[in-house]
Amino acid sequence: MNGTLADVPVRAILRGLADAAKRWADADFPPRVRVLEAIVARTGYTLPVVEYALDRLFETITEPALTATIVSELGSLDALDGFVARKGRSPARALPVGPVCVVSSRTTIGVAIPAAVFALCAKCDVVVKDREDRLVSAFFASLVQEHDAFGTAARAETWSGSHDARDLSTFASVVAYGRNDTLAEIRAACAPEARFTGFGARASIGYIPREALVDDRAAAALAEGAARDLVLYESEGCLSLHALFVERGGHIVPDRFALLLAEALERAHVEFPPGERGAGASARLGSARALAAFRAAGGAGTVYGDGSARHLLVLDPPASDPPLLLPRALNLHIVDAPVEVIAYLKRHGIAVEALATSGKREDVVKMAVDAGAARIATFGALQSPLMEGNHGGRLRVADYIRWMTDDR
Amino acid sequence: MSYNRETAELDAEILGVIGKWHKRDRDLGEAEFEDLAQRIFAYQLRYDEPYTRYCASLGVTPHALPATWRDIPAVPTGAFKEATLATFDPERAVLAFETSGTTKGVGGRHFMDTRALYDGSLLAGFDRFMLADLDGGKRLRYFNFVPNPADRPQSSLGYMMGRVCAERGDGQTGWYLRGDDLFVEAFLADAKAAIADGAPVCIAGTAFAFVQLCDELAKREIALAFAPGSRVMETGGFKGRSRVVTRDQLYASIGACFGIPAERIVAEYSMTELSSQWYDTGPTRVKHAPPWLRAKVVAADGKLVPDGIVGALVHVDLANRGSCIAVQTEDLGAIVDGGIVLIGREHGAELRGCSLDAEALRTTR
Repeated sequence: MNGTLADVPVRAILRGLADAAKRWADADFPPRVRVLEAIVARTGYTLPVVEYALDRLFETITEPALTATIVSELGSLDALDGFVARKGRSPARALPVGPVCVVSSRTTIGVAIPAAVFALCAKCDVVVKDREDRLVSAFFASLVQEHDAFGTAARAETWSGSHDARDLSTFASVVAYGRNDTLAEIRAACAPEARFTGFGARASIGYIPREALVDDRAAAALAEGAARDLVLYESEGCLSLHALFVERGGHIVPDRFALLLAEALERAHVEFPPGERGAGASARLGSARALAAFRAAGGAGTVYGDGSARHLLVLDPPASDPPLLLPRALNLHIVDAPVEVIAYLKRHGIAVEALATSGKREDVVKMAVDAGAARIATFGALQSPLMEGNHGGRLRVADYIRWMTDDR
Repeated sequence: MSYNRETAELDAEILGVIGKWHKRDRDLGEAEFEDLAQRIFAYQLRYDEPYTRYCASLGVTPHALPATWRDIPAVPTGAFKEATLATFDPERAVLAFETSGTTKGVGGRHFMDTRALYDGSLLAGFDRFMLADLDGGKRLRYFNFVPNPADRPQSSLGYMMGRVCAERGDGQTGWYLRGDDLFVEAFLADAKAAIADGAPVCIAGTAFAFVQLCDELAKREIALAFAPGSRVMETGGFKGRSRVVTRDQLYASIGACFGIPAERIVAEYSMTELSSQWYDTGPTRVKHAPPWLRAKVVAADGKLVPDGIVGALVHVDLANRGSCIAVQTEDLGAIVDGGIVLIGREHGAELRGCSLDAEALRTTR
């Protein structure tokens, strides 16, 4: 197949993307094997964590998932190939918005790929500012094997701050991930009419309602999930568990739940061994652990951690303490109701990406709404968002198209 | 033995150590340091309740004392915000220094029941590391870009420089910092007078104040040329500040603004929770301290790391008799050539991508 992406039927594009992703989901796929070490070197994560991340990323890029997302946002796939009739409205066509740039700053693994995939679905030319591990570049090379048109439509360049500042004004849509000040700089460099989608500072939290703590078995299952949500990606991602709240009044008391969580963490370290830690993180972990122990000695809270400092779990810290924001470190707050969580988030200025919880309680859902969360998940799945999900609460493909109507 | 007598005897011993080093250059050997550290620690276990509880939680009690001074439990600096760490009733404190409260807006306090230890320690260290080249009795003029103790008596840095100026200054001391405001005009007037008098000066300030000052002087195209023998004491880093420059850049700016060469710029390092100070010694920028202040470097699990490897600094300061002898910091450093190389403190936790990072979190509060 030849031509530009604009000439390629959307279904062929989706098939190409999904087929390439399927190959990347195979742990033995040579290009994937080749980038593994580079990802480990860049992130400091251990191999099992990186493998897990790649599995999760590429397994979710499927034709059904892409189709469902596009249909839900645009009404049909056909709108990307030509005018489609719409009930009570003029026929309309979804055209590519123009060239798209995806800037992945200091990100976890493959964050830019879903955005790039949806921009390609919209038949946009995409430039991704890649990271040193060249993951995106390697994935794009696989796309070319599926369809020549991807060769001109999808490009990856090694990320460089000064370069971004120079050429961002040529893009119709810019997607960026990073610190809020970085996003502000990138936004300022965009063309005035360009669409800007910034994914800034966000965190995820967990809430365990009392009715979920019916017995040891149920509590242990929640702890198992929470442990996974904490340890993956060394607690660095926006979907990592950054603060956990447990309600009083359950059959399993918070102290018991904390112990179960500490035990679950021990097991999680086996499945996902801790990554490399810088001296700064180690120093802050040591200090946080010592402070928690000091408080505990005075009768305030409890500290759980193993001898080799793989994790730090602090039960019942003061509400004035912000999240620890350290690798595999978690404050477990005891609360009476979700309203206390909102107060906590407000106090510390935390924007929430996702909430992990159990059950369907209305006040917990309201808390997620009030906190600005984009997603509610079960424990253990916090870090496994669906491709058709709304990262940051945003649409997936709509930002990359412009509508044209035929009113004749 | 009564508390008062025990305290007086310990203080006399500590002051004796300070005095011998200060006046007679007599060092404090490992065995002497060990002995005194253990006795001060045992004293603190008897009279400093929060510290005692903490030590007990770690299995260290009067009946199970640490094997060496390196095993003495260190309190994290944050503990000074959580509890009154003192071997005496804080009502009797003659000095109470407050930390800046960088993380939660709540400062910690370090109480002292005597000025003698703090004064003795700071003057001995300052004389050795800042003034050793001066002929006996020669006094410098001190220009300070640190808090004025008259305005902020709770600032340990301000107190320190206040004592130095009172004891070692020529009587024409200037203070040019209040909050974040620099009094540049007043400084320039005093600087011109010092240059006209041919009076060597010591300019003391935080790194961030020097950056601001040098920026201002550069903007006005002012380059001062202080008398030979002038020097700079830089301290305090860039805590919570947005503009950070490298040390080489800073020292080049200081040289250009004041005509003071880099070898006359000494970086001092201490903290409110200590009673003694570290100073750069020589071009390698290894910091040394008086022999009653020692450091160890630990990993996240609290275990010692080998010399030369970067980790968290833990200070053991014998002059901290009234609080806690061992203090754990988040400052990164390594033991090198019997001193420390200070790497500094990393900004808060840095998360990736669309994650929350601590700096962003703080700015939204």
